[in-house]
Amino acid sequence: MPQDPTLEYSPLGKPGDEVHEADGTIKPHWQYVMESFSALPLSALQERQNKASRLLRDDGASYNVYSDDQTSSRHWGLDLVPNIISSENWGDIEAALLERSELFNLMLRDIYGPRQLIRTGVLPPEAIYAHRGFLRACQGIRLPGDHELITHAVDMIRGADGRMIVLADRTQSPSGTGYALENRTVMSRVLPSMFRDSHVHRLAGYFQQLRTKLLSLCPHRSNPRIAVLTPGPRNETYFEHAYLANYLGFYLVQSDDLVVRGGFLWMKSLDGLNHVDVILRRVDDSYCDPVELRSDSRLGVPGLLDVVRAGNVVVANSMGSGILENPVLLKYLPEVSKALLGRELRMQSVTTYWCGDDADRAYVLSHLNQLVIKSTYRKPGEYSTNGTLASAEALAKLKAAIIADPLSYVAQPILSSNFLPTFSDSELAPRPAILRSFTVAGAGSYTVMPGGLTRVGNEDGSFVISSQVGASSKDTWVVASEPQRDMAKPAEEVRAARDSEIINLPSRVLENLFWMGRYAERAEACLRILRTTYRQLNGEDPLSAQMRVHLLEAVTKLASVTITDVPASDRSMVSLLREGAVPAAIAGVLNSMLFCAEEAKELLSSDTYRVINDIRDSIPLLDTELGDHFQTPDEVLDPLVTALMALAGLNHESMTRGYGWRFMDMGRRLERAVQTANLTECLLVPELPEPDQSRIAEAMLVAQEGLISYRRRYGARPDVTIGLNLVLLDPDSPRSVMYQLTHMVMHLRKLPKANTPLHEMSPIDKALLECTTRLRLASLSELAQASEAERDHLRQQMKHLSESLMTISEMISDRYFDHREASQQLVSVKWEGL
Amino acid sequence: MKYRICHITAYKYASRVSHCYNLAQMMPRTTQRQTCFSSKIEVTPKVSRETRREDFFGNNIFQFEIQNPHRELVITATSQVETRPQIVDTNLDLGSTCAEALLKMRQSKSEDVLLAREFQLDSAMIEASAELRDYAQDLFTPDRSLLSAVSALTERIFTDFTYSPLSTTIATPIAEVMKNRKGVCQDFAHLQIGCLRAMGYAAKYVSGYLETLPPPGEEKLVGVDATHAWLSVFSPGEGWVEFDPTNNCLASEQHIITSWGRDFNDATPLKGVIFGGGRNPGMNVSVDVSRV
Repeated sequence: MPQDPTLEYSPLGKPGDEVHEADGTIKPHWQYVMESFSALPLSALQERQNKASRLLRDDGASYNVYSDDQTSSRHWGLDLVPNIISSENWGDIEAALLERSELFNLMLRDIYGPRQLIRTGVLPPEAIYAHRGFLRACQGIRLPGDHELITHAVDMIRGADGRMIVLADRTQSPSGTGYALENRTVMSRVLPSMFRDSHVHRLAGYFQQLRTKLLSLCPHRSNPRIAVLTPGPRNETYFEHAYLANYLGFYLVQSDDLVVRGGFLWMKSLDGLNHVDVILRRVDDSYCDPVELRSDSRLGVPGLLDVVRAGNVVVANSMGSGILENPVLLKYLPEVSKALLGRELRMQSVTTYWCGDDADRAYVLSHLNQLVIKSTYRKPGEYSTNGTLASAEALAKLKAAIIADPLSYVAQPILSSNFLPTFSDSELAPRPAILRSFTVAGAGSYTVMPGGLTRVGNEDGSFVISSQVGASSKDTWVVASEPQRDMAKPAEEVRAARDSEIINLPSRVLENLFWMGRYAERAEACLRILRTTYRQLNGEDPLSAQMRVHLLEAVTKLASVTITDVPASDRSMVSLLREGAVPAAIAGVLNSMLFCAEEAKELLSSDTYRVINDIRDSIPLLDTELGDHFQTPDEVLDPLVTALMALAGLNHESMTRGYGWRFMDMGRRLERAVQTANLTECLLVPELPEPDQSRIAEAMLVAQEGLISYRRRYGARPDVTIGLNLVLLDPDSPRSVMYQLTHMVMHLRKLPKANTPLHEMSPIDKALLECTTRLRLASLSELAQASEAERDHLRQQMKHLSESLMTISEMISDRYFDHREASQQLVSVKWEGL
Repeated sequence: MKYRICHITAYKYASRVSHCYNLAQMMPRTTQRQTCFSSKIEVTPKVSRETRREDFFGNNIFQFEIQNPHRELVITATSQVETRPQIVDTNLDLGSTCAEALLKMRQSKSEDVLLAREFQLDSAMIEASAELRDYAQDLFTPDRSLLSAVSALTERIFTDFTYSPLSTTIATPIAEVMKNRKGVCQDFAHLQIGCLRAMGYAAKYVSGYLETLPPPGEEKLVGVDATHAWLSVFSPGEGWVEFDPTNNCLASEQHIITSWGRDFNDATPLKGVIFGGGRNPGMNVSVDVSRV
């Protein structure tokens, strides 16, 4: 048997080899990991890489990429070879980062305070005043404690001389910590022994410090409510927002979940408004308040800035912090540092030429083809221009743009980073890398995350390393020569109020869970009747024309589509159902369900997410496989039905019995009752001659999963009266309408009540009682009674039932969900953010 | 001159406004040439919260929140102000020349110049352009005093443009004003600021009131005065000097300042976000400036 090939990574033989010394030996801190990899057969590594991808997928790790008009979600890529940094070297990096964050903090305080840096001529006024990140409305805002800059991220590369150099700072709402944590979690599961034996510095300390710091921002309240403010599921880093909110135990909110009232910020939840004390902001500051900042923003909360000013809510990073991302500041950093810290920074930043400076502009214009040219204000989807690769035409255009608006451009030399071994196809290939490190303010100083998020380019010399263009990531290991002593963990504060709090979700989340339940159930009902219909069509006996009509009617009614063709044969009915409207409608319902699931992502477990991924993957099958005439269509539907059942089971078995679960289950119950009523109306209202009547009753029972229990109990050929008993009245059948109604009543009883001394039932309770009572009082023989080939009484009852349930759904929505009125500007003026 | 100013703004909405967040700049600021003794703002319906503060430019801000449903919003601002003439040599030919001014704007490290440079830059509603520069450039010869050149530009705008209250909405792009050759005070202020910035000078937008005098022998009517807008230009050495292109003059004691900033956006008398309210609210503003 041939030997399974293993992985080799030979010395580069040129500068920039991160792993090898000049003489070709492996650097000590890389030794253990490189040896472990070379001992690993290729197939084993591939298998682990697959496992890593699977774990990331199950955790819902994705990075949304903005394209022209739609957002597509890209699974987060993790390369298994970590970026390794020795503990000694990290000590220097850490000290430099601490110093840098301190400086940026002082700069931020000065920029929104006395602006001595401008008054004394250290910074040219235009460096601040001409930048869109400078928000004049934020003048004078201070946070409690020593720091204005709470979190800071620094992008660095290591040059051939072994020194780190800073490329950029992220201060708006630095992203990446959640991805770093997720990378670490996956690595420790995929390569457990390599990870354990490498004595890697832990990341937990950073997150503990973040949590402690945010709690300390609200000193006057013993149990402050902290929320992560996200733009929503379409945002590129939404995964991280949900992940961090979960990990840190904070609420995940969108702007519509919040409202300003009486000078405070509130979260809209089921039991009314709840104070929010601290916001971890993941919405750009200029979008946070349409009253004072961008008036066209839909991601903000009107009036928020004034609440911040009053100190009634603390927003981190502080509003206006985006100004520090201005690359023009890099040019002046040495002088700024001397002015504020009394010394120059120990870690250098990339040389930056600002076209607002006459000498720099002249240099840039005459060296365009040797520089990277960037806009001073970063917009999503906008990249810098690499002058060495740009066409003459592009450079001419750029030149004109610079001359027209010199203040808005900087240029930097092209730096090459050291190369890291990266798993690519079947080999370890050298790839350039950027390290993003994170600091968080603490009492007195900053805490640095040991390591950070490493991103590697796709190709040998790739110029842009950005998650937006699909770069892959690596875990970053700061390795101690000796095992790291477990840091004395500060005892986690007792979270007494947690239980009652966790159920207190924003109304938006509850609404999405309710609809997730409804859509899941609707999809399942559609799939079941469709599957049943196929089975009937594939049965031994052909269907009668009448049966075809009624089955088709049931499918189209449940899927809410209109089909006017009357299929002349079983064969034409199969193709009618296979192609076009019905599969598309079911796919639509499933997509709606997935959308709701994204909105409530932070409540879904990995197990749940795995099932959701399966469902997402199966949707295209409705289109392709269903049309494949060599397959039996019902077999294609089986996995989807199973996945939906699994989802229902997980929801039932693993969700806390909080409001979230109640609303989802109410959604399910309500939808199931409606669909059963619809199905009954389509299939059992028409009176058919035997054997059609039994066949259709059997179809009904199969769709309702009731055939087995029917046969056990009654043993006979399906009979309409007994069938009706099973699908409508049987209190023990989890698919009967009665069962659904009983459970809805139960859920409603547990929801917060309007605060009134009166004993009158609520309108929802009344409506439900009316439904239940009508059903209880119904007589089965009357329902089964037909005249002129129709069970008219049954039709009336089913119509009434489904209409009442629709009304109840609206009532639930009006009573418990938020209905935000549209807002508008009193005076509409143009806002350019200058 | 001592004045009592009453500025009433009334909105009538097509449908109910459930709640709103507003920001008013209706309280005159105290400056070198004016002192504001008192100012108060009353709002109906009742506000659920109000704050007063100074903004980035030192303007007085009145910010409020209403949580009661309403169809009508009335804001009454009453202030007592004493104004004085601008301290500026009546002979505008003295002072920094255009060339000196440009050089100092670039090179001076003195604090007032450094801070004035903010007003050289483009802002949301004023973007410098070659067209604006060309419109004014011939007046700004290197050896001419900057203030005399600005005065000439003020006159040029006054002559070339027609005051036409119905011709523009609140925010008319300058290019359009240039094309149509008509506008209101905000537009002329924006226009002149744009010309000055296009040539490299610093200029800011000033918002306030203008006392109007009745024709001789006639009684002054209440409410006929108006909110007004003009500009201030920075001449290194002489400091900030205010000109009024709508009336072709230097700002006088009759020009009462409420706010200033880079453009209308920074000095909007009333702005905010309302929930509900329907389309096209009716707005009525009445200003009464009376001598005391």
